[in-house]
Amino acid sequence: MSWDSFVYFALGAVLLWVAGAFFAWKGRKTWVYICTLAGIAVFFAFILGMWVSLERPPLRTMGETRLWYSFFLPVAGIIVYSRWRYKWILSFSTLLSFVFICVNLFKPEIHSKNLMPALQSPWFAPHVIVYMFSYALLGAATVMAIWMLVRKDKTTQKEINLTDNLVYVGQAFLTFGMLFGALWAKEAWGTYWAWDPKETWAAATWLCYLVYLHFRKAKPAEWQISCIILLVSFVCLQICWWGINYLPSAHGGLSVHTY
Amino acid sequence: MKVGFLIGGGLICAGLLLQVLLGPVNWTRLAWPVNLIVLILLLAAVGILYALRKEVYAFEWMMHAGAAVPCLIYAASLTMLMGLLPQVREGGMPWLSQMLSFWPFVLIWSWMMLISALAALNHLLRWKWKEIPFILNHLGVVVAIVAATLGNADIQSLELTAYTGEPEWRALDEMGRLHEPGLAIELHKFTMELYPNKMPKRFASDISVYTEDGKTVQGTVEVNKPLKVNGWKIYQYSYDVNKGPESDYSVFQLVKDPWIAWVYLGIFMMLAGALCLMLFMAPKPVKE
Repeated sequence: MSWDSFVYFALGAVLLWVAGAFFAWKGRKTWVYICTLAGIAVFFAFILGMWVSLERPPLRTMGETRLWYSFFLPVAGIIVYSRWRYKWILSFSTLLSFVFICVNLFKPEIHSKNLMPALQSPWFAPHVIVYMFSYALLGAATVMAIWMLVRKDKTTQKEINLTDNLVYVGQAFLTFGMLFGALWAKEAWGTYWAWDPKETWAAATWLCYLVYLHFRKAKPAEWQISCIILLVSFVCLQICWWGINYLPSAHGGLSVHTY
Repeated sequence: MKVGFLIGGGLICAGLLLQVLLGPVNWTRLAWPVNLIVLILLLAAVGILYALRKEVYAFEWMMHAGAAVPCLIYAASLTMLMGLLPQVREGGMPWLSQMLSFWPFVLIWSWMMLISALAALNHLLRWKWKEIPFILNHLGVVVAIVAATLGNADIQSLELTAYTGEPEWRALDEMGRLHEPGLAIELHKFTMELYPNKMPKRFASDISVYTEDGKTVQGTVEVNKPLKVNGWKIYQYSYDVNKGPESDYSVFQLVKDPWIAWVYLGIFMMLAGALCLMLFMAPKPVKE
């Protein structure tokens, strides 16, 4: 399996997800699950194929992390759907996933087979996968925040509740990702935390979402401010994920996380 | 919440004053037993604040989410600033390029630990099973960060270069000073596998470690697989990069961190806390 066959798997998966999203609008629950899960299976088959042919988990490059992001968006979408029955959630997750698939199709990056010794660790896969799942959930929370800010007074308690849930689960996974990284770093480099620029931004992002969680507890009625906190947090998350490559602080070999 | 912003602002001003008067925070001063004394003072402070919570409203207020919000905002902002500006050991921007030694940063993070510890204690002492997630999250972060911070000055990190067949007992610290860690390493064989493009795939050292108390430990050290001997963790660090697989020496990093068990305890509490966060703390779905 190589990136050459990505377009076929991606197309198959996206078509199935579109069908799933369509059935969600029509209220045909069984078909929603069948189509969405089939799409997820097709997409995962490609990831597995890449895993086998690369002889390592596809987690090394930016393109490979986007692959997981495209995968987790529909996963998060179907989980939210199964719990809250939002008709639109699968359309949204499919669209966003499609965007990331397109980025991978049109801007493929060097996908080398080589994994430097420090990355050959059992922590590598959980560290990145857990982060990508968290990013997907927090991305969904951001869209909810924008949606609620646009609709202002029409916002329902149910929407606020969904956003809270996305952030709680997202923050939990953010914590897993960060701490798996720390445990791994101790085994690989002898220190669990080195304030490497990526780590610094991960800490800032983690604190931002904690602001949200505590603000919701302190001022539950002021949901509009909490939406703004989510937007700021998401910017922070993006800097942590890829924006950091454009920051002066991460240049000059100061980060072990440049890729 | 306004009060919280004022307190945070006050801490930043106080920090700036300290920075001017005392210079940057000197972390090496925290080495044993100073860190133990600081820890005892910290615990005493938490205890006293908690005991006086009924008398002084401010101490009661510190335990609530409303106090956490401004504190977290200050901490997040300073951390972002640290992420924006290149951090260097010396030089760079005054104060801000050594954020970890910048008093306002240290005071805000300390404030965060203090209120988190108070909140955790408050929930711990009115014990109910359902308080566990809250306690794990708030106590976990305090245990991990306080242990990591106070323990930092006690971490010994040495570099030891061993040539094949020659036991080596001397090691260098970061400043290039010579140390004797109380063990000797003999390199039997350095092995290296390469990818087709000559990039290292795996490198490892077969070694014997001889300790002062007469033990001999044999093992293989490679990246991601350190060896633990007498409280030291021995890491594969480097080799003769010019010779690659033919290198006749191997460089090891020896790390001793007496506080690590506490850091791990905190990390595992936080992991359990995160699990609870999504399973029990998230609000239940509402139906319209």
